[in-house]
Amino acid sequence: MKCFPTAGVRPYPPRVTSFTAKFWQSLQHGQLVTTRCGACNALTFPPKPVCPHCWADKQEWTTISPNGVLYSYTRIHAAPAQFSQALPYEVGIVDLKENLRVACRLVNTSKETLRLDADVELVAIQYEDGPLLAAIPLQIRRSTDIKFLTDISDMLYMKS
Amino acid sequence: MNRPAIIGSSALPVGRYQTPDDAEHHVVEHELLAKLVVDAIASAGVDKSDVSSIICAQPRSYTRQKYFSTFMANYLRLQCEGIVMETFGNGLTAALAFDKALDEILLGRAKVVLALAINMETSTPSSEHMKDSLRTTGDVDFHAPSGFTPISWYAMDAMRYMHEYNVPRTALASVAVKNRRHASLNPLAQYRDPITLEDVLKQRTIVEPLGLYEVPPRGDGACVVVIASEDVAKSLKKPYSVVRGRGFFHEGAHQINEVPNSMIDFVAAQRASATAYANAGVTVADIDFAEIYAPCTIVEVLASEAIGLTTRGRGAFSAEEGVTTLGGAIPISTSGGLTSRGHPPYATPLYNAYEVNEQLCSMAGERQVADARLGLLMNELGNYNAALIHILEAMSP
Repeated sequence: MKCFPTAGVRPYPPRVTSFTAKFWQSLQHGQLVTTRCGACNALTFPPKPVCPHCWADKQEWTTISPNGVLYSYTRIHAAPAQFSQALPYEVGIVDLKENLRVACRLVNTSKETLRLDADVELVAIQYEDGPLLAAIPLQIRRSTDIKFLTDISDMLYMKS
Repeated sequence: MNRPAIIGSSALPVGRYQTPDDAEHHVVEHELLAKLVVDAIASAGVDKSDVSSIICAQPRSYTRQKYFSTFMANYLRLQCEGIVMETFGNGLTAALAFDKALDEILLGRAKVVLALAINMETSTPSSEHMKDSLRTTGDVDFHAPSGFTPISWYAMDAMRYMHEYNVPRTALASVAVKNRRHASLNPLAQYRDPITLEDVLKQRTIVEPLGLYEVPPRGDGACVVVIASEDVAKSLKKPYSVVRGRGFFHEGAHQINEVPNSMIDFVAAQRASATAYANAGVTVADIDFAEIYAPCTIVEVLASEAIGLTTRGRGAFSAEEGVTTLGGAIPISTSGGLTSRGHPPYATPLYNAYEVNEQLCSMAGERQVADARLGLLMNELGNYNAALIHILEAMSP
């Protein structure tokens, strides 16, 4: 998956457990992994040590595709204090091709690309203190990676 | 059969009561609530000594007095042989107080029960308040870091609904106009000045596509509902409402289902309503009005469609066309709803129960639903991940 380094730290960092460390470490290296049940084969996200479908404890880590479609989104104009510097910002719900639903930030969007049912892909935003999942539209202006970086920093920090 | 009945109630107008830490004179929860309890018991026509259980919605974290229910037992010198306890469950918090109060009657542990709720929060700014609400809606490690706010989920419902059913935002906004009209007739409502569709549409955006008048205002409030066994209710020789059916469903998901589904179906409301209608021995066509926990305009639309009060994809148009207005075929949120009556979250479900009882006892004044016989009360948590429905019936002495 694509990775985009960005300045600053995560406004509300997640806790990492000895179990989810595998997910966060993989994300840091640009790999999207989650758990698949060795008993019923169901994927789950977020990754869990027990399968929520059949309750077996035969979870295995697997790499999944970051591709999906945008089920819904909103632009937030009133936020908790930790996020007020980023206002307004976009969040969305992504249905992955692997039949998992993920909710995360949307970045690098434009009026043309921000559409429900549009193709999107999950990316890793690499903050100074660790990674977070985000989604970007697949049909984006193809410019340089440098341009990308600037855009995402803009989305995350430079609005006020 | 000893069904639970509502025999009395009392509530503060929803507003701003909470005082800042540096106030010279503070407003404290137990003083407000004690007066409401006395009023409610007087309106019920029973005696303090008849009360044997207290079920209290857990107050906000800002309420300094902790272990509030047992403190209230002390403050009112109420000896109880049923139970004294607090309930908690996000938006359902006060609905659980109501539901557990009914259980006390059904279990035969009490003849008269107090359901109490007080929610004080308005001296805390929204940006500070939301620091904590980040932790309530969504996965604290996998969603909260992205900055989801409680109503951002409802906003995404709205985006999806407008997309799938080709509903214009103006139709959603008409729900706010309709509910403000209802609130203008409710002395307990926080916002009572009538508004137009233009007023709604020109407000600043909070979560797209929803503007200020389509999301819940911040408010403080307190409400007391007195529940009794039906034999007690009958002995009082005045109108009361009886709980005729109940339904609950939790869809086993928190905000979103990790297996993609239709988020706007509100499965929990569908399933809880099927149970409630069957339990009450009624059909949706028998319901005369409904009081629905709907923090945003879109939520009233989706919830009323899910339980069959309006047609799928037509809920917003029903508001626009007057179907869900007072005087319409199925009035919804006659109190003014959460956007206009106001939304002190941990008390809101009891305000909803209060409104249903007012209607069923013909005490709703100018906003009275004609011939109101069966009322539906629905509360929820999350993004309608759980729904709790009670169907109440008007009873004459």
